[in-house]
Amino acid sequence: MVLKNNLKEFRHKNNLTQDDLGKSVGVSRQTIISIERYRYKPSLELAMKMAKELNVKIEKLFYFD
Amino acid sequence: MALSKKEISILIEVVFSILFALIFMPFFYENQGDNLISINNLIGKITPIIIFAVLYFSMAYAVLELIFKAETTVDERDDMINSKSYKLGYLLYELSLFVFIGMLLTNSILQNTGGIIFLIISLLLFVSIVKSIYQLYLYRTF
Repeated sequence: MVLKNNLKEFRHKNNLTQDDLGKSVGVSRQTIISIERYRYKPSLELAMKMAKELNVKIEKLFYFD
Repeated sequence: MALSKKEISILIEVVFSILFALIFMPFFYENQGDNLISINNLIGKITPIIIFAVLYFSMAYAVLELIFKAETTVDERDDMINSKSYKLGYLLYELSLFVFIGMLLTNSILQNTGGIIFLIISLLLFVSIVKSIYQLYLYRTF
């Protein structure tokens, strides 16, 4: 099972750039890029912050494939 | 291949280690058989090393700040990359200690203080360069 996410899709829906989202949750743009490419698995705290920022439930943002 | 501010600061450390090896290591290599733990030797050698390090890092980071004016965020990904690279550095350091002890027991030249200093600095440089290169690799791949 691989942990994947719909971060890019929800980010576009909210008209946010990687830099915008990174700044709002307190991480760098490179971290957002890594998460969107499934290279880096964020902590629960960061995942919840991103879900809150994107107005989406965490289980819709992250899923097992 | 655009490098971020963090990646360039790691490269600055790698370049420093290489420059240190090229400029100062020949002295320690040539004096392996001598007793370097004398005040004159220490002052004479440590002073230029400190001056070189201060000048190099001041200039390198000043240029870096001029090029990258935006403030960088240190986040959990940085912590993860740092912990992975320092773990490798620590493992290499532990392994190096065994090599160090083995070399001290088998090589009579290295039993002089000059030889011990040369060996310690060589091992520290090796561990530092490997750790920094691994850190850079993680930044590029994670």
